[in-house]
Amino acid sequence: MIPVAVLTGFLGSGKTTLLSHLLRQPEFARTAVLINEFGEVGLDHELVEASDDSFIELSTGCLCCKVRSDLARTIDDILCRRECAKLPPFDRIVIETSGLADPAPILQTLMTDVKLAGRIVLGDVVATVDAVNGLDTLEREEVSAKQVALADHLVLTKSDLANGAQPQLLDRLAALNSGAPLLYAHHGKIEPQSIFDAGGLESRAKFLDDGTWLVNEACEHSHDRHAGIKTFALVREAPIRAVALTLLLEALAEHCGADLLRLKAIVQIAEYPEKPAVLHGVQHVFHPPAWLKRWPSGERRSRLVFITRRIPRAWVEALLDAVEAEVAEVEEAETHQNRRPARRHAAMRDPDH
Amino acid sequence: MSDSLQDSLYELLVESLAAWRIAGSVDRAADGSFLVRAGANDIRIERAPKHLPFRWMVTTAGRKRGALSVVAVLRQLRTALDPGYVPSNRVRIAVSPQVAS
Repeated sequence: MIPVAVLTGFLGSGKTTLLSHLLRQPEFARTAVLINEFGEVGLDHELVEASDDSFIELSTGCLCCKVRSDLARTIDDILCRRECAKLPPFDRIVIETSGLADPAPILQTLMTDVKLAGRIVLGDVVATVDAVNGLDTLEREEVSAKQVALADHLVLTKSDLANGAQPQLLDRLAALNSGAPLLYAHHGKIEPQSIFDAGGLESRAKFLDDGTWLVNEACEHSHDRHAGIKTFALVREAPIRAVALTLLLEALAEHCGADLLRLKAIVQIAEYPEKPAVLHGVQHVFHPPAWLKRWPSGERRSRLVFITRRIPRAWVEALLDAVEAEVAEVEEAETHQNRRPARRHAAMRDPDH
Repeated sequence: MSDSLQDSLYELLVESLAAWRIAGSVDRAADGSFLVRAGANDIRIERAPKHLPFRWMVTTAGRKRGALSVVAVLRQLRTALDPGYVPSNRVRIAVSPQVAS
């Protein structure tokens, strides 16, 4: 399967410069780039030069709204042309979004389009932030805050112009998404290995395991700005029953919808305690749980990290408590009647069983 | 009803009003039921009788409806209290996996 990475960031934040640099690196050979530009006449693609074994496709219009189906169709098209050797045999796809695009619908398209199923896998989401204007942009433009909140990696650009990053900007980025590693691009250059590594599951598990999200625990209450976007984590000592987790996700999808920007979790499922389940969701769309072979460290507590907009942590916590209490009560009653507890959700099945 | 579920549901109802920005209150009755008051609405949430295929009964404006879980209770409660709420989003499972297999 071909990893599809998303490069996002507000207008003028240095996406195209970064991409131009990356495409000249040998590590970035065999890359297909889809550039989305807002406006009738695209220009960015003229500014990017690809090596011989990479190539660039252009789409215009706002990727995040009316041309989502175009994105799926374009990816389908280049995959087909790759299969019949009409295009170079690329190993990855990078989508550079328009600076005004909300990345969430793009991620949803990549996760849910049936034509693309089994052919692509969602790679990393990288957001560029301008060290000179980034702070103002985050204050002014809600979509900019959302781009940062949804990213797996943040790249601070133009720090050479800003004489380093402003501490306030770093604070804002940490408040919005402290779990995302912050990388620095100098004159638009960055180590190619450091981003778009398609670490996928392992890197998500590492993020959840190494405690970087704990930073948010300390600063959650002091950074509830940016249109209410904030990050928080729930930790559970006891394993969570699959049904309780399913009910939690159902209620979150129903009541939060687009305000649940992203959920990442490593969970000890009561039915399969030896293997941690890694969950990943964008708004109401969730990947099927992926199962790690073993726990990455001795830490076996379930950790659920939420990036949300205007969703109180206390409500999510109360919701999880209530569904866990209800499932426990039902299970106890069923055990009492000598019946096996029902396992409701097919998506929760361990593929090895 | 277990004490744990009783306490958890009460907390959830209180936090739900706050999360939905609805001014109101939640009271616990001696019989284990809950009364949610918000504006002109009085909503009663109680355990369903054992012979019914529900876990909860939710009474709104004199109409009693069954609910299968606390998640269903929440749905009914919000539908009654929040005119702008449309329970349209359902969990959707991605067709692509998290990692290449």
